[in-house]
Amino acid sequence: MRNLLNFLARYNNLIIFLFLEGIAFYLLSTRNNYHNTRLVNSVRGMTRGIEKKINSTKSYLSLHDINANLAAENVALKNSIAKLVRRESSLFFSVDDSVYKQQYLHTSTEVIENSIDRQKNFFTINKGENQGIKVDMAVITANSVAGVIVGCSKNYSVAMSLLNLDFKLSARIKSNGYFGSLSWDGRDYRYAILSEIPQHVLVNVGDTIETTGYSAIFPEGEIVGTVSDYEKFGGDFYKITILLMTDFKKLHFVDVIGNMKKTEQLQLEKLIQ
Amino acid sequence: MINSILRFGLIFILLILLQVLLFNNIQFSGYVNPYVYIMFILLLPIEIPSWLLLLLSFATGLIIDFFSGSPGMHTSATVLAGFVRPYVLRIVSPRDGYESGSDPSMLIYGFRWFFSYTLLIVLVHHTALFYLEVFRFADFFRTMLRVLLSSLFSMTFILLIEFYRRGK
Repeated sequence: MRNLLNFLARYNNLIIFLFLEGIAFYLLSTRNNYHNTRLVNSVRGMTRGIEKKINSTKSYLSLHDINANLAAENVALKNSIAKLVRRESSLFFSVDDSVYKQQYLHTSTEVIENSIDRQKNFFTINKGENQGIKVDMAVITANSVAGVIVGCSKNYSVAMSLLNLDFKLSARIKSNGYFGSLSWDGRDYRYAILSEIPQHVLVNVGDTIETTGYSAIFPEGEIVGTVSDYEKFGGDFYKITILLMTDFKKLHFVDVIGNMKKTEQLQLEKLIQ
Repeated sequence: MINSILRFGLIFILLILLQVLLFNNIQFSGYVNPYVYIMFILLLPIEIPSWLLLLLSFATGLIIDFFSGSPGMHTSATVLAGFVRPYVLRIVSPRDGYESGSDPSMLIYGFRWFFSYTLLIVLVHHTALFYLEVFRFADFFRTMLRVLLSSLFSMTFILLIEFYRRGK
């Protein structure tokens, strides 16, 4: 007994140290689980008020850019409405139910917390389950791909940014349709890597890269970026550096996209496998 | 006693605010990020009991983790820094030892002492932090580069703050 007490007295620092590190590693390992971002969510609840204040100041400072973007987006939308109206009038019949052919549902949200300087970046948006946001929905900005929702609370959601080592996306070269896997290598927030494009394919600097619809998360044809550099990697494939279209440093208003036919597609695919 | 609790409480709050409001929003060239809050661990009195030092490190790391949404990462790195601090103090101790009841400040022990003391602890902290963040040994040398660059920036800011403190 005395030996034990002596032992404890002698190594008490080490024991406290190991105990505290144990707690820290427990937190760390539960966080690292891809699907267990609920923890991040609940912890963020405490600091969200302050983050909101910081963010509202930042958004005030960038109002000019945001206005310009909105104006440009308005013009694009007006143009597409004009096209649709023309097409609609040439049809023989009109269908009252406008939902039947709609596959993707857009919700506009605001980013209230964002990071680009870590290896695993997440951002928080100001809508959640109450507004119909669910896990695994796609997040895009006006121009291009931004991330995927990984956790939702009542009024907030956390999205995994494209700037995350765990983020994988099926993307293709627009001009010839060859697809590969897009990921971020943790170096520069402006560039990502497209791999698994075979070497017989013709690749040019400046080629547009867009999403495929294969994953049932992102709609087909959302722009990711342009080819900025490519090199042969191993014997069979290219390693293509993509200049991302999204400026993650200025991420502010994003759209969340829900795929309304996702369950149908997944069920069918499951049935066949 | 009460006086020094108040003083360190104030330093604690100031450093956390500085880190969260200012330094968490600064990125040099994409991924170099200064972590200045570790200065709190550096400034605690030399004769502080080790268990208190460890608990304070734990609390500091946990609060920073709350604000950066990364539970566990800063906590474990800061606890490690708190654990090695007594050993570092022993390594860099001046020839005639430490004065009893003094704080580890540049004013008392000089620039060279403070520099090496800060460098060792910042390196330990940043190494643990960045390797825990990546959590893999692929790109080992790139992570090392990040550690060194970020340490450089953290050191710069910590020394600047210390100079300012001395100036007052």
